[in-house]
Amino acid sequence: MMAWIQFIVGASLISAGVVVLALSVLGVFRFNYVLNRMHAAAMGDTLGILLVLGGLIVFSGFTFLSLKLLLTIIMLWLTSPVSSHLIGRLEVHINERLNEHVREVKH
Amino acid sequence: MAKLRDNYETSLWARFLRWMKSGSKGLERSMIRALEEEAEPSQHSEAEQLALEKAREEREMQDHERERAIQERLHLWSKTRGARLMTFAYRLAAVVICLAVIFVLLSSVSMLPEFGRSDNPANNEVAARYIEKGIEETGAVNIVGGMILNYRAFDTLGESHVLFVAACAVMMLLRLRLDKDGRPTREKLDAEADDRKYEPHNDVILQKVSSLIVPCLLLFGIYVVFNGHLSAGGGFSGGAIMGAALILYVNAHGLTRAGRQPLFGFKVFKYITFGALAFYSLAKGYSFFMGANHLDSHIPLGTPGNILSAELILPLNIAVGAVVAWTMYSFYVLFRKGDF
Repeated sequence: MMAWIQFIVGASLISAGVVVLALSVLGVFRFNYVLNRMHAAAMGDTLGILLVLGGLIVFSGFTFLSLKLLLTIIMLWLTSPVSSHLIGRLEVHINERLNEHVREVKH
Repeated sequence: MAKLRDNYETSLWARFLRWMKSGSKGLERSMIRALEEEAEPSQHSEAEQLALEKAREEREMQDHERERAIQERLHLWSKTRGARLMTFAYRLAAVVICLAVIFVLLSSVSMLPEFGRSDNPANNEVAARYIEKGIEETGAVNIVGGMILNYRAFDTLGESHVLFVAACAVMMLLRLRLDKDGRPTREKLDAEADDRKYEPHNDVILQKVSSLIVPCLLLFGIYVVFNGHLSAGGGFSGGAIMGAALILYVNAHGLTRAGRQPLFGFKVFKYITFGALAFYSLAKGYSFFMGANHLDSHIPLGTPGNILSAELILPLNIAVGAVVAWTMYSFYVLFRKGDF
């Protein structure tokens, strides 16, 4: 019974992650502007990876391997948003015709 | 345009060509003409000078128009027939090259021996010897580590020297030096201004995250280097991780702040790469004179599985790791700013 629950939870987590990753790939191809594309790609980088690796953690149970997978999640969650942030910052700094794509919201 | 031509006519190459064509007479003639031209303004009256100027302007206009006509014709040609011709030639060349590459690859694949047969050249006694006696002879649990740094250490010696030579070449091409009086040249100042302007070294998010990650990365790189003879890894992969950590730090905090620490300076790069390579060459350079035969180093092998075992593999791993890390870092800095 326990093994079945483990299998169902892990499999559903992994398939949800795959769906998120597929959606993010679709978004990268469908959107036209850098910042929109980054929005789609960042979803796969964080939520998709979290779901897939979480599924793998559920599969492997309380082992040393799942600790390593947890470390991988922490590493990816630290680095990938920062790189997205840097790309977005570069785009905002460099693009001279930013106003065609972006509307500034005043608080 | 006219200015360029003037420069060209007085240039060394043009004078050399003229001299080749007509001997020393041509050179003399051109020199006399140049002298005459210099002396011209005082000889002519104002009206004549005006007329001369007008004539020259007309000539320039004519030149200009002719050039424009040629360019327009070229433009038209490239838009219509030329474009079609070029596209056709391009596609034809692409298809021909693709077919040629496919033919060469497929023919070489067809000449390969059948996969998995026991008498293939890959299944010789060397691989069997490495697997059977590797741990016993080198003391390294990681057979790959024992192979590249003991049996085939001269090969790895060449590889690390390739990295060093590449770093030297990049430095020769890209390094911006001080001038003779020890002051920075204009290119160097420009590069530093560009660096300050374009690189994101004042980004708080990047700085915070890098101060979290860089120590972990360095530690992990050192672990990979030091465990090269025990687990998968070794000098090259651990050195790459350490180099990435150095690059990340410089990227986050800027070269001016990182440059104050000796770890990121040019001096440390110089001493570490030279020291590591010199140590490696001293330790394994004899291979070239012995025909790649082994020479007993009289260092005890130790028990396989301990950190201090496998005689020279651990120090050689450290040397290779240092060379790889600092070479990667120096490439990054040289391509970014041209100096440390």
